[in-house]
Amino acid sequence: MSSLLPRLHALWTKETLALLRDRHGLAALFVMPVIFILVMTMALHDAFMPGASIDVAYAVVDLDNSPQSQALVRRLDKSGSFRRIAVGQDLDAARQGIRENQYALVLGLPAKFGERLLAPAGADGQPTEPLTLLVDPTLNPALQLAFRNQTAAALGTIRADELTRRAGKLFGLPVSPAAERDWPDEIVSIAVQNQRSIRPPSSVQQNVPAWLVFAMFFVVIPIASIFIIERQEGTLQRLRAIGLPFGHILAGKLLPFFVVNQLQAVLMVLVGMFIVPMLGGEALHMPAGRSLIHWWLVAASVSLAAVAFALLVASLTRTSQQAVVVGGVGNILMGAVGGIMVPKFMMPAAMQRLAEWSPMAWGLDGFHTVMLRQGGFDAILPDLLKLLTFAALSLTAAVWLNRSSQP
Amino acid sequence: MTLSISAVSHTYRGAREAALDSVSLNIPAGGVFGLLGPNGAGKTTLISLICGLLESDQGLITLDDEPLALVRAADPARVALVPQDYAFYPMLSVVENLRFFGGALGLSGALLRQRCDAAIAFARLEQVTGKLAETLSGGLRRRLNLAIGLLGEPRLLLLDEPTVGVDPQSRHFLLDAIAGLPASGTTVIYTSHYMEEVEAICQRLAILDQGKVLAAGTLGELLDSDEQTLELRLDRPLPESLLSKYHAVPSGALDFGLFLPSTAALPELLAELAAAGCEICYLSLGRQNLEQVFMRLTRRSLRD
Repeated sequence: MSSLLPRLHALWTKETLALLRDRHGLAALFVMPVIFILVMTMALHDAFMPGASIDVAYAVVDLDNSPQSQALVRRLDKSGSFRRIAVGQDLDAARQGIRENQYALVLGLPAKFGERLLAPAGADGQPTEPLTLLVDPTLNPALQLAFRNQTAAALGTIRADELTRRAGKLFGLPVSPAAERDWPDEIVSIAVQNQRSIRPPSSVQQNVPAWLVFAMFFVVIPIASIFIIERQEGTLQRLRAIGLPFGHILAGKLLPFFVVNQLQAVLMVLVGMFIVPMLGGEALHMPAGRSLIHWWLVAASVSLAAVAFALLVASLTRTSQQAVVVGGVGNILMGAVGGIMVPKFMMPAAMQRLAEWSPMAWGLDGFHTVMLRQGGFDAILPDLLKLLTFAALSLTAAVWLNRSSQP
Repeated sequence: MTLSISAVSHTYRGAREAALDSVSLNIPAGGVFGLLGPNGAGKTTLISLICGLLESDQGLITLDDEPLALVRAADPARVALVPQDYAFYPMLSVVENLRFFGGALGLSGALLRQRCDAAIAFARLEQVTGKLAETLSGGLRRRLNLAIGLLGEPRLLLLDEPTVGVDPQSRHFLLDAIAGLPASGTTVIYTSHYMEEVEAICQRLAILDQGKVLAAGTLGELLDSDEQTLELRLDRPLPESLLSKYHAVPSGALDFGLFLPSTAALPELLAELAAAGCEICYLSLGRQNLEQVFMRLTRRSLRD
């Protein structure tokens, strides 16, 4: 009568049927993360690619029209990060262009720019007119700064060219007047990895694991809602009265939602590999061979942590509404702190230290270790241990809370 | 099979007073045993102790001289509880609920199917087997609750207020079904605060109040008493002097239960009522029921 298998089979069937009939729970588990992956991958497409062209247009108003001013424009064109769409001669017309959203920046080169290129302001008793930068105030301040730095760098190069040319003249060396040298000022980003170098993480490589971890933790919604119904309706008491150990009830929840988490992983990976490229993004590259097993170990550990956390939330809360608030807000906080919504490397140092306390960050770090750094088992072990310890502590607390709540 | 409850006490954590205070009862095999008492009397606590949801602070419960905890550990299906709540899954259908609880009992295969079919037939749920439990009426939910309790073919079935919130037709069906259970070898303990139900289906009963057994025995034993309880409805409130003289217990706005030492005291009471200007709308004397027995024992109304 008390054989384990029929009991577990009954518990698993019950959880599966209950989940399949919970449309909100299914949406939170499968639809929400897919939408997040697609939206965030496309929205942050360029933010993860150093050196990628920035789709911000600018204009140059060249009031000097000297070889030096033209050289500066050519130098800016070479960097290619910002898009130059017009060169005019009228600063007021250019100002109007910003108002009409034709471009976000206008660089104004003053008259006598070339003549005064090597004359420090006031050094010869005459003022040197500065370059002006007209800015669309809605433009990201970081991009404004990037453009200023790019212009300053180009200006430095032009000055170096001019200085070389004049020094050559002074010492009677043969110098081509229009010579523009290729100074070794290009900086190429190279991500450091084991054995070989690949490009830094792309948007899809950041977003698929990030939102997968986030989605896995959202099992809190269906687990808590079923668990609270069981407690409120007296079903848990009835199960206890027929001698079903609480451990069986927990095991009955762990396996179905572990499977749900694995289905989420497959779905999110397929979205990253096939749907994102259809929308113009880069396809997700999954590791192969042993690395795929390591990837799965991370997914399995995240799943155990998520299901155990869900059981803890279900044990802490009295009503479904409380569970949705505590579980949902808890997940969003863990996600915000843990680098799901804003990648950890974009955070200031203090926030990055705080992120180390989020279980979602451990999961995401584990995935990145396998996918980006080609890390082996030793490399992911610290994250796995943190996740499994979190799972064990949450489960223990859930069991203790359920025992102590009995009259 | 005799269930013996000896000096059992239980106090809930944080509570100042005991929910059960040295309760002793003998419940013989077969029949329906009623536990009658107002809300908070200790009925559910006693049921919870019998089915192992609570542990007693003192005392012992045995089944055929064997500690009940050992009996349950050896065969959990031997004692079944039908709780007061709808203790099943609203998002599962009737048959899915039955299969789940059957599986939780360890049943599988042909035996599980056979027990589910028997439970469906017993509770007459054939027409609604595929319906989600959350869409059932109150009466059908109570039937499903009862059917789940029968899946393990228990020898001892504990029914905790099984007719709360059902329509008269379903109540009638449930009472008939429960009354028929002893014929198949199941002993039933039935808790209720509806005295009519207990009178209708219980051969033996105990009256509980504030954690204590006030009286226990057969229905006839409990109803048999020299003291007469008079039910009275007046056109105005009963004067204070008569309230205290006859230990009157209000059971409605102008309804009272009065205790007469004998029938011979009735003429004197009628004269006193007439002198006080009270007109009698309704009077009943001589027909004892459990409500009056409870009033006699506690000097309170059962529905207080």
